[in-house]
Amino acid sequence: MNVLKQLLNIFIFPGGLFVLVLGMFYLWVNRKLIARLQNRVGPRWFQPLADVLKLLVKEEIVPEGVNGTLFVALPIMALAGALTSVLYVPMAGFAPSHSFQGDLVVTIYLLSLLTLCLGLAGSLSQDRFSLVGATRTLTQLFSYEAPFLLALLGPAIVAGTWQISEIAAYAQGHWLVLTQPVGFLVALIGLMGKLEMPPFDAPEAETEIVAGALTEYSGRGLALFKLGNGVELLVGLTLVSALYLGGLSNPLWFIIKTGGLMLFLGFLQALMTRLRIDQTVGLWWRYGSLLVILQLIVLVIWQGVL
Amino acid sequence: MSSNTNANPSTFIVPIGPQHPALKEPGHFEFHVDGELVKSASVRLGYAHRGLEKATEGRNYVQTLYLLERTCGICSHIHATAFTLAAERLAEVEVPPRAQAIRTLVAELERVHSHLLWLGVAAHEAGFDTLFMYSWRDRETIMDVLESLTGNRVNYSVNLLGGVKCDVTPEIRDMILNGLDFLEKRTQHYLEVVTSDALFLQRTRGIGVMTREQAELWGTVGPTARASGVPRDLRVDSPYAGYGEFPVRLITEAAGDLEARFVVRLRELQESYRLIHEILAHLPEGELTARMKRRIPEGEALIRVEAPRGELFYFVKSNGTDSPERVKARTPTICNMASVLQLTVGHQLADVPMILAGIDPCFSCNDRAVILRRGASADTWTWEDLRQHGIRVYHERA
Amino acid sequence: MDKFGSMFGDTLASLLKAPITERYPFERREAPDDLRGRLVWNQENCTGCGLCAQDCPAQALEMIVLDRKAKRFVMRYHVDRCTFCAQCLASCRQEGLSMNHADWELAGLSRGDFDLMWGSPEDVEAVLAGADKPEIEVID
Repeated sequence: MNVLKQLLNIFIFPGGLFVLVLGMFYLWVNRKLIARLQNRVGPRWFQPLADVLKLLVKEEIVPEGVNGTLFVALPIMALAGALTSVLYVPMAGFAPSHSFQGDLVVTIYLLSLLTLCLGLAGSLSQDRFSLVGATRTLTQLFSYEAPFLLALLGPAIVAGTWQISEIAAYAQGHWLVLTQPVGFLVALIGLMGKLEMPPFDAPEAETEIVAGALTEYSGRGLALFKLGNGVELLVGLTLVSALYLGGLSNPLWFIIKTGGLMLFLGFLQALMTRLRIDQTVGLWWRYGSLLVILQLIVLVIWQGVL
Repeated sequence: MSSNTNANPSTFIVPIGPQHPALKEPGHFEFHVDGELVKSASVRLGYAHRGLEKATEGRNYVQTLYLLERTCGICSHIHATAFTLAAERLAEVEVPPRAQAIRTLVAELERVHSHLLWLGVAAHEAGFDTLFMYSWRDRETIMDVLESLTGNRVNYSVNLLGGVKCDVTPEIRDMILNGLDFLEKRTQHYLEVVTSDALFLQRTRGIGVMTREQAELWGTVGPTARASGVPRDLRVDSPYAGYGEFPVRLITEAAGDLEARFVVRLRELQESYRLIHEILAHLPEGELTARMKRRIPEGEALIRVEAPRGELFYFVKSNGTDSPERVKARTPTICNMASVLQLTVGHQLADVPMILAGIDPCFSCNDRAVILRRGASADTWTWEDLRQHGIRVYHERA
Repeated sequence: MDKFGSMFGDTLASLLKAPITERYPFERREAPDDLRGRLVWNQENCTGCGLCAQDCPAQALEMIVLDRKAKRFVMRYHVDRCTFCAQCLASCRQEGLSMNHADWELAGLSRGDFDLMWGSPEDVEAVLAGADKPEIEVID
């Protein structure tokens, strides 16, 4: 019975199929929202699904001179990392199916696994554009990762635990966005960096390096990376709203909170220009890190005083 | 055409073009980069060469007019205007003032549409898609105006040899004025966005700085040069068509960086709106065309006009038949291309599309075949020789 | 004064109203009166001078003269070559040509739709039957 439940959790709900579908839905919400902010119509609800299906039936072209096994395996690893990280967050308002002390770090690591696979895939493809894109992806990873982790650490410190479900339970009563606004802001902007949303989409700058690390990918590999992107979006939103916006106790609150966060992200995306990679790194290492360290110092003192 | 600056074969080459999302038309740029820093740049053009100058042989003047109008989609009217001014000068035909005013009106409307298009494209190159979408939404207003006035959104075909085809009725006049009211508010808003949005300024302020000496040395023209303080605008320096009766103010900026290029074009938009208002208020009465013979007498004509991108130069040689002997066009983008190669060196790779977009490139205009003759006929002209020749030509005409 | 999100007003306003996109073909605007649509030939006014065909930059018009005194003309119009520049309208001094502003959706499924012969039926038949007879004069 336990094995059956585990399989159900991993493949159907909350991992696997459910989160793939929900991830595509959130990708659509993102595109539709930005389109409406720009006075356009935007795609219909099945557009991300149609994109994935179309890519899955296309031929996957492996460039000459590239390690074929690794080329095909990297998208699978990326998606696997994203899907595994789903198991530890309160997806759809239900308690996480697997939970243990320290799963906050594991979740963030699994999300970074996706970005690492992206960077590796870019360096693997023997293409100038993907090499520049991969370099930028990894540079960006090194710049926002530390502040992002520290920003998510803020709620962990006040809750006194490294387990996401317990932090979420602690956050039920208190909306940490009110007591740690700086941390919330850094976490949100860190999320934008992780998802490569404008203004941090230098790694996939269409007008400079075509498609960045994914330039040579087509067919199944590209579809899996896109799905991984959708799942990452979903997990990131869930994590930030569970930690900062007062926990996710039931599906209604899940939809409201993640939807609201998505709206806010949509505005930020539409209003900002793409930054150069050196400006991104400068911004993060100058302001991002300083702000979040300041926030942590305040928290530690607060905890010590109380 | 291919030119190279400080090439070092051991650095990494990033090709931009011929197919690239940054380019709206094909052109091949090679940037030797070290990490993200550009060390040298080279360009190869000619992908959109259609042999238009050759195609004018065997076509009569009327057909050539429409052929040359299709040199470029964005600045089609100014090409046609330049050619028809040349043909009218050769035939010594006096075009009625109403026709000249309508030509000027459509030229200014074309400048509005071209600058709004450029604003969107340059914002897109910077990654600011919202500004791109809004400026192109507002551009639809001017496209509707042009469609009502001339009958088509692109390739307006307003010019006839000897005058214009379309007339400004009171309904069209009101429609133009309504459209301009809307656009004036929007242009003011865009001017504020471009000069005050913090992140956008990070991408444009201090990037691609070209001093006035450099602009004059590299021979840049148009708004690109005016953004570096070079006070050169053909509508002011040597007025043609209706610009004698409806003068234009010269717009320059001193900074010479990308932000200055944005500001110059937006202020030129405002100047165009003012000029259109004035033309509509004081449109002279009269006929629309003058009678022009089919066979143009022998002669040569040099016409310089101000396209939205800079100085457009036409040379037409006639031989007494109804077909031109030789037509040569020199478009502004080819003058500005050298500045791109010089400016991108030392900048980051991410600045390269912005600097390229800053000159408002129009690759389909600028492809020409040039024959370099070496050996026997070594007739080299210096800047000074060219200048003296120009002074002679203008003296003879006056 | 540098500010963030300078286009916030625009985006907020757009969120609260309908998109500006015209969902063609479900929504269609009326074409302006001066739109240069497909050519229309007025047979009564035509004198067969052929200036329109001579001046056409795309060689889309052919004036086939069977009998000039009896005013038996056939106008051949290649719609797919036409650039809709309206020079033919300007060249004609008898108002024999006009452009239909409502006829601008000109896509077709076969080439035959784009090769039009205008004239009285017997004249068109005569042309199609003996297109290379010497007494037929073609101006293009």
